[in-house]
Amino acid sequence: MKAYVIRRLLELIPTALIIILGSFALVRLAPGSPFSSEKEIPPEVRRQLDAKYGFDKPLPEQFVRYLGNLLVGDLGPSTKYPQRSVNEIIADGFPVSLTLAGVALVWSLLVGITAGIIGAVRQNTVWDHAAMAAALIGISIPSFVLGPLLVLLFSLRLHLLPPAGWGDLRHVILPGITLGTIYAASIARLTRGGMLEVVRSDFIRTARAKGLSERLVIWRHMLKGGLLPVVSYLGPAIASMLTGSVVVEKIFNVPGIGPYFVDAAFNRDYFLVMGIVVLYAFFLLLLNLVVDVIYGFLDPRIEYP
Amino acid sequence: MGTVAILGIGLALSLAGCRPEETGFFGTTEPRHGPGELWMNNAGEPEWLDPNKCADGNGGEILWNTFAGLVQAHPATLEPLPEIATHWEVSADGRTYTFHLRPSEWSDGTPLTAHDFVYSFRRLVDPATASKYATNGHIFRGGAAISRGEAAPETLTVQALDDLTLEVTLENPIPYFLHFLTFYSFMPIPRHLLEDLATRGIDPELWTRPEHVVCNGPYRMTEWTFRQRMVFEKNPRYWDATNVRLERVRLAMVESYTTALNMYAAGEFDWPGSNTSLPAEFLDELARYGDFHRHPYLAVYFYWINTQAPPLDDPLVRQALSLAIDREALVAHVARGGQIPSAALVPDGLAGYEAIPLPLFDPDRARQLLREAGYERPEDLPPVTLMYNTSEGHKQVAEAIQQMWKKELGIRVELENQEWKVFLANAEQMNFQICRMGWTGDYADPFTFLELLTTECGNNHSAWSNAEYDELLAAANRESDPSRRLARLREAEALMLEAQPLIPLYVYTRSQLIKPYVRGIEGNHQDRHPWKHIWIDERRPDRDRQPAPAGRPPAPPRPPAAVHPSAAAKEKAA
Repeated sequence: MKAYVIRRLLELIPTALIIILGSFALVRLAPGSPFSSEKEIPPEVRRQLDAKYGFDKPLPEQFVRYLGNLLVGDLGPSTKYPQRSVNEIIADGFPVSLTLAGVALVWSLLVGITAGIIGAVRQNTVWDHAAMAAALIGISIPSFVLGPLLVLLFSLRLHLLPPAGWGDLRHVILPGITLGTIYAASIARLTRGGMLEVVRSDFIRTARAKGLSERLVIWRHMLKGGLLPVVSYLGPAIASMLTGSVVVEKIFNVPGIGPYFVDAAFNRDYFLVMGIVVLYAFFLLLLNLVVDVIYGFLDPRIEYP
Repeated sequence: MGTVAILGIGLALSLAGCRPEETGFFGTTEPRHGPGELWMNNAGEPEWLDPNKCADGNGGEILWNTFAGLVQAHPATLEPLPEIATHWEVSADGRTYTFHLRPSEWSDGTPLTAHDFVYSFRRLVDPATASKYATNGHIFRGGAAISRGEAAPETLTVQALDDLTLEVTLENPIPYFLHFLTFYSFMPIPRHLLEDLATRGIDPELWTRPEHVVCNGPYRMTEWTFRQRMVFEKNPRYWDATNVRLERVRLAMVESYTTALNMYAAGEFDWPGSNTSLPAEFLDELARYGDFHRHPYLAVYFYWINTQAPPLDDPLVRQALSLAIDREALVAHVARGGQIPSAALVPDGLAGYEAIPLPLFDPDRARQLLREAGYERPEDLPPVTLMYNTSEGHKQVAEAIQQMWKKELGIRVELENQEWKVFLANAEQMNFQICRMGWTGDYADPFTFLELLTTECGNNHSAWSNAEYDELLAAANRESDPSRRLARLREAEALMLEAQPLIPLYVYTRSQLIKPYVRGIEGNHQDRHPWKHIWIDERRPDRDRQPAPAGRPPAPPRPPAAVHPSAAAKEKAA
């Protein structure tokens, strides 16, 4: 087990290098420059700007220098926000994106598991159909429709929550729900499916035969089995909540790092693009590893070679 | 970006939720704060807050309100008025200005002197500063050579005769100099602060961060939460602080225009601000509300033609293309912002200039010109590619023109949209046949537009070069008599439009929303609205309006036309 984790960690190094090299090449080969605008810049000024950021050096040299800086944790300067370093920008934005993903996760688990249990316990009743219809709608409504709908209802009509912004708890609710709903819907379906799979198994029958109350049967036995598929789904779900918040952060003007994913590339803010890619790559690789390890705990049939 | 269009759904829904018949206004009508405050949007983080280095509207909005230059622009007419300079003299040849400064202080109490201006102007053109707007300093004699690295910054003809007297000598006796001087590039720089930071081992480039910044304008920054908000408080050391009405201005960094509109509707903004545009698809609807305002804006939308690439190397073909565009239909049905259709580059009435009268649409003449050019049948003409930067608005204009050219001339036009930086790279390398562009005037003078077509101008993307045109503009700038100067500029524009290296389409307008309790935002064609003139009106005649009767909504109340702000789609870059 320990050997497996160590080997997997070592395997991350070449993968990470390939990702860094690939994204470096892509962003630098794209036409245009961080300094271009519709107004011409005097050539001497352009030369000074390139020299300041080291863009006048050959690309391989820039790459090696970038890797060197990366090793000591320096992600470089931002050309679009010259008053800030990429480290500062990520340190500002990443906790915000994490908070948003956390709220979305809690929301999706609460709603998803509740709806899933209702669906499974009241299988083929009105309750079940209603819960699953809601889940279907939740999966089908994209966040760019759900977000504005929530704003219309809760901000512009009921005046309960601010339409956008960040700062206190009230700001987190609408974007959290918008981001989490699609996952809540998936979790509801997975929970229901998982529970229905175990509902007719022998151990449930035994539990009932022992005279356990229906509540105990549901909570202690059915849910445990039913949640297995949900847990394995959570790894990729958390990763995609983190990386998939671009649109939600735009709609609600959440100062996370989601929008940089797109904007930094449009601005040719080379170091910022690289910084975001490296951060996301690191997280995805790590989450994949964590999920693989957790599988082993949940399902004893999996062995680590 | 697709998401921007998609975000529009939200606004469509909010529009549906709040009809003018309810209040006559779009969203809340009561301020959510005390009378000493203003909440507005900046639409994004500035790149630089250093007056010499700033080159974007997001920074400009802040600099104009935190720094004070030699002169300031009148909030409505933009005419130059005294600011730090109380008065000035101009030499007989119109090239040398002597400014007399009032005693004033930086926000840290250090006296402000003419030396701070000298330092700033030299720093602007010094290549070591790497200012994207270094060319603004080329109006001073010697400025161009310095920014090319051929002369030392000290050779700039700007000098402090004493602590309160500044003398500058210009390259040309340009009549718009004082107006140009109101631009943020020419604000003073606190040299003492930059030097102090350097001696303390802090990067002087960080001098504009709130923990360090020293300024001399009506407001100073007290809080900067990156990508969320900035807070500005009145600067008690500003020379005219007694006439500054708002105590605090809260500036949000909301990039999405539709999100900004939602926040305006919810009362989180009193005014979305000059940097926020209203999405074109909602203008017709928003125009029904009492807090909607529209004003002409000093910016022109046009198409560059690459005059080197056949078949567009023939001026007759270029003229035919221009004449085949129905500009009035384009503005009425596609752009829809009340823009002013124009076949000439310089807007009518700009600093006394009379626009060149050209037909806005003449398809018969267009067909005739094409025949004269030797294209008897439309199919003789090879297909032409029209390039624009990715944006729903630019796409709609391009599609409309594609249709017009096809209908009137039978020309096949291929559209090509490109992401902004790729578009710029292709435009710079002349790698296109026709491409869209917008140009915002930097100052109220025809030269700000006509300069684009000179041979040496790096923004000339037509490859058109005409010695007579260059000479006419140079002669105009040497001319000290204003009417003779305008006549030469007009002669030059006529010559240029005859060759048609570009196709002007329309002059921009600016549409925006301002809460009914906000006063002091005056209309002007550069969309500059100093916060120091803005105030919150607590007496509100409209507050106690009777609710409108059911049925057909009454026309929403409109404030007097004169009180209204301009502003255009600042979408030079958008």
